[in-house]
Amino acid sequence: MIAFFIKRLAQAVVVMFVISLISFSIQDNLGDPLREMVGQSVSEAERQELRDELGLNDPFLIQYGRFVKNALQGDLGTSYFFKEPALEVILKKLPATLELVFGASLIILFLSVPVGVYSAINPQSLFSKAVMGFSIIGISVPVFLTAIGLIYLFSIELGWMPSFGRGETLEMFWGWESGLFTVDGLAHLVLPCISLASIMLPLFIRLIRAEMMEVLQSEYVKFAWAKGLNPRRIYFLHALKNTMLPVITVGGVQIGTMVAYTILTETVFQWPGMGFLFLEAVNRVDTPLIVAYLIVVGAIFVVTNTIVDLVYGLVNPTVNLAGKK
Amino acid sequence: MTMSIQNKPTPVAPEKAPNAWQRFKETHVWHSFLKDRVAQLSFTIFMGYVLMALFAPMIAPFDPYDATQMDIMNSELPPSWNEDEGDPQFWLGTDAQGRDLWSTILYGTRISLTIGICAVLLQATIGIIIGLIAGYRGGRVDSILMRFADVQLSFSTMMVAIVVLAIFQASFGTALYQDLAMIMLVLVIGIAEWPQYARTIRASVLAEKRKEYVDAARVMGLGQIRIMFRHILPNTLSPILVISTVQVANAIISEASLSFLGLGMPVSQPSLGSLISSGFEYIFSGAWWITVIPGLVLIVLVLVMNLLGDWLRDVLNPKLYKG
Amino acid sequence: MPLLEVKNLDVSFGLRSGEIKALRNINFTLERGERLGLVGESGAGKSVLGFSILNLIAKPGRISAGEIYFEGRNLAELSPEELRSVRGNRISMIFQDPMMTLNPVLTIGQQMIECLQAHRKINKDNARTIAVQKLKQVQIPSPETRIDQYPHELSGGMRQRVVIAIGLLMDPDIIIADEPTTALDVTIQAEIMELMVELCERNNVALILITHDLGVVSQVTQKALVMYAGRVIEQGPTREIINDAQHPYTQGLMNALPQMAIPGQRLNQIRGAMPGLQSIPTGCAFNPRCDYVVEACTKQLPGYTVSGNCQVACHMVADMKKAQQAPEEVSS
Repeated sequence: MIAFFIKRLAQAVVVMFVISLISFSIQDNLGDPLREMVGQSVSEAERQELRDELGLNDPFLIQYGRFVKNALQGDLGTSYFFKEPALEVILKKLPATLELVFGASLIILFLSVPVGVYSAINPQSLFSKAVMGFSIIGISVPVFLTAIGLIYLFSIELGWMPSFGRGETLEMFWGWESGLFTVDGLAHLVLPCISLASIMLPLFIRLIRAEMMEVLQSEYVKFAWAKGLNPRRIYFLHALKNTMLPVITVGGVQIGTMVAYTILTETVFQWPGMGFLFLEAVNRVDTPLIVAYLIVVGAIFVVTNTIVDLVYGLVNPTVNLAGKK
Repeated sequence: MTMSIQNKPTPVAPEKAPNAWQRFKETHVWHSFLKDRVAQLSFTIFMGYVLMALFAPMIAPFDPYDATQMDIMNSELPPSWNEDEGDPQFWLGTDAQGRDLWSTILYGTRISLTIGICAVLLQATIGIIIGLIAGYRGGRVDSILMRFADVQLSFSTMMVAIVVLAIFQASFGTALYQDLAMIMLVLVIGIAEWPQYARTIRASVLAEKRKEYVDAARVMGLGQIRIMFRHILPNTLSPILVISTVQVANAIISEASLSFLGLGMPVSQPSLGSLISSGFEYIFSGAWWITVIPGLVLIVLVLVMNLLGDWLRDVLNPKLYKG
Repeated sequence: MPLLEVKNLDVSFGLRSGEIKALRNINFTLERGERLGLVGESGAGKSVLGFSILNLIAKPGRISAGEIYFEGRNLAELSPEELRSVRGNRISMIFQDPMMTLNPVLTIGQQMIECLQAHRKINKDNARTIAVQKLKQVQIPSPETRIDQYPHELSGGMRQRVVIAIGLLMDPDIIIADEPTTALDVTIQAEIMELMVELCERNNVALILITHDLGVVSQVTQKALVMYAGRVIEQGPTREIINDAQHPYTQGLMNALPQMAIPGQRLNQIRGAMPGLQSIPTGCAFNPRCDYVVEACTKQLPGYTVSGNCQVACHMVADMKKAQQAPEEVSS
């Protein structure tokens, strides 16, 4: 177990190192910090002096070292636009994005498993065929079109659902603004979550169905039948546990994709989350904010991958978490 | 083993036939195509798209890139079947700049398909070469290359594409970026997805390598590169075909998504995605067609490609790399 | 009344291209404590027969005719719930490949206890005690620790012992063993087979042994069924079949045994290969490979001729032996 964490920690360090290098080179090359600070009216000599003072003329490694040192202390620079520490700006938006991902994951989890399992057990049923038909349509519709379609139908035509923003939020611990505990907040969450789930859901249904059908053909499931076990136990313990192994692996990769899709969903719904903020930052060339976003997303990747590996190790006894194969 | 090599001095290269069409008509693929209505319909629609894209300049009544043909007075006209406001000149209506929507969609389809296909060609080239080398050489080369593929795969394509394009846009400035958008999209989507091919090809190569005809070729003293490309590659064609169909569909979705975010094709030279994006602002004011019609065109294109991919997978049933 | 009686059993597979008969007109009986061998090449239908007894044939397959009487009940007509109470309880199965038979994500103990709990009301602790006891019976060292391990922590031979222990859990009347030693190392094969026979003898369990190995059949069983292309072509006491095979196919199998070959010369293989189920020749299915073929063999399905204590499905046997009795019964 300890070995597992050390290994993960090493991986995390490598990932964060790469991200920090990329981030640093962006910060170094995008825009001139002096212009942001002093404007045009300062003479070239004074500029040069200021550069020396700020250490902008130092060798690359020293500058990078300073960047990492500051980053480790949580200082990723000040957003040009908001005039606030970039990390704080991003972290303030983190809850909105996390709640969006959380809602979408719930939808995916609670629909894909039963539907996938059912259509694997009864592949010839009308319902299964309908599911397969819908799922291929679902895969073919880009997230932003689903989102636009939902807004058009439920907000503009029917007027049932709000079309943008988070609605009413409650302040929780540590300044966490949550929309999960007000009716208005939940109503605002519905359409964005469905949109975000829309592309992953059919993918997972198809994956679970395919894996489950394969597992149902396996010798150990046949043996379970020969032992006279209850069908429910065979389907939901013997078969499902083995089905979930590849699904967990794919799920881990898909979490990254989901974070990327939050950018799309948040853009359509003007959801005040990190993704929306990131896109605004790109348009404004707000480098510190871009860097802060990359680092936060990198951290999310590392954490989720670790959790996925941990869960996989718990489900699959043949995996030794210490990493010895 | 040795017996069979002596008996069969010429290795079999099945894809080489003088009358390929004749032989194709005998195949399982063709027979199942004749039976499968969905596959026929999908293929017909897909060919329709390809023709539309190829002949867009001839079909389109207007040139959407020519600013002189646009008249802002014509902006946001609904499709012509709406008799009150529509103009029979523009049967699908016009967009916010007064461009004929039908012409713009034709050109947009052309751009979307071009980017999709070029990106997949790039993916396939990189992936096939790396996959062949990894599978054929094995050992350390193999493990390093596959490790690399794992790392690449663990980053989501969309995420990488958004970040890379965003950084480029921020550092080039929007104007220059728009000129390079098409190349950038092809490069980013093309490079991000090569591991899909590499892993599948590697798996097939490992399977093919054990077969007799490769031994036979090696015993005959053929060079490694020749063995790889002339003997192993033709036998990995069916997984490549299946992946490619689905990958083109995915690439088109990725391109549309990136353009929707403003990181792809500019509005002056719109792909389907940027067209949808430009129409989105007007959806609240009732001008639904600028978004909905290109949206449907995009969905149908991706859908038929996915249906074709599914059908090919069922028919060819290659061993695809999972996960 | 015999313990198990299979009567006129047909099994077919419904494919898009039409129905394919995998088993035709199978008849045999099994007494309590008796050991029966099902012999034939792969594809002859022996495994299908083994699985059809418990109605466990995979999806497009089904029992299309006939009866399977077990203690007077027709297994072919039982409801799924009734069948479940027979499976693993009165009749249990041992599969071919122990590497694939045990669920990789469940411990040995879980896979044993669930079987006990499926068939009787018993709490976990008592079930565990029985499980450990059965593991001891199949000579697994330190069963108390092994029971909490996962299959991948055990060797192939160990796993097959576990599978046998699971088969014995409910003290069944019949064990159906489908090539139980084929996937094992040659050195362990004899050991496992010996263990199985000993346990069956001690507990008075009947055994249906599915195998392609005539040698094993001759050592282990009292009765044998030789199958070819979905049909029983010869059945009777093992000793008679081994010593005096009547059917040309059985003779061929005997001659093909390595023991029968002269050192330094080729094995006496039967020429040709068994036909697929979709292309079974008319008449006797064996006729294209048979050395004694006459015209009748290509036209008419041979009925069963009784010869000694054996039944043989061959036209020539009837001719040669100058049939004392009329063919017992002819199938479709």
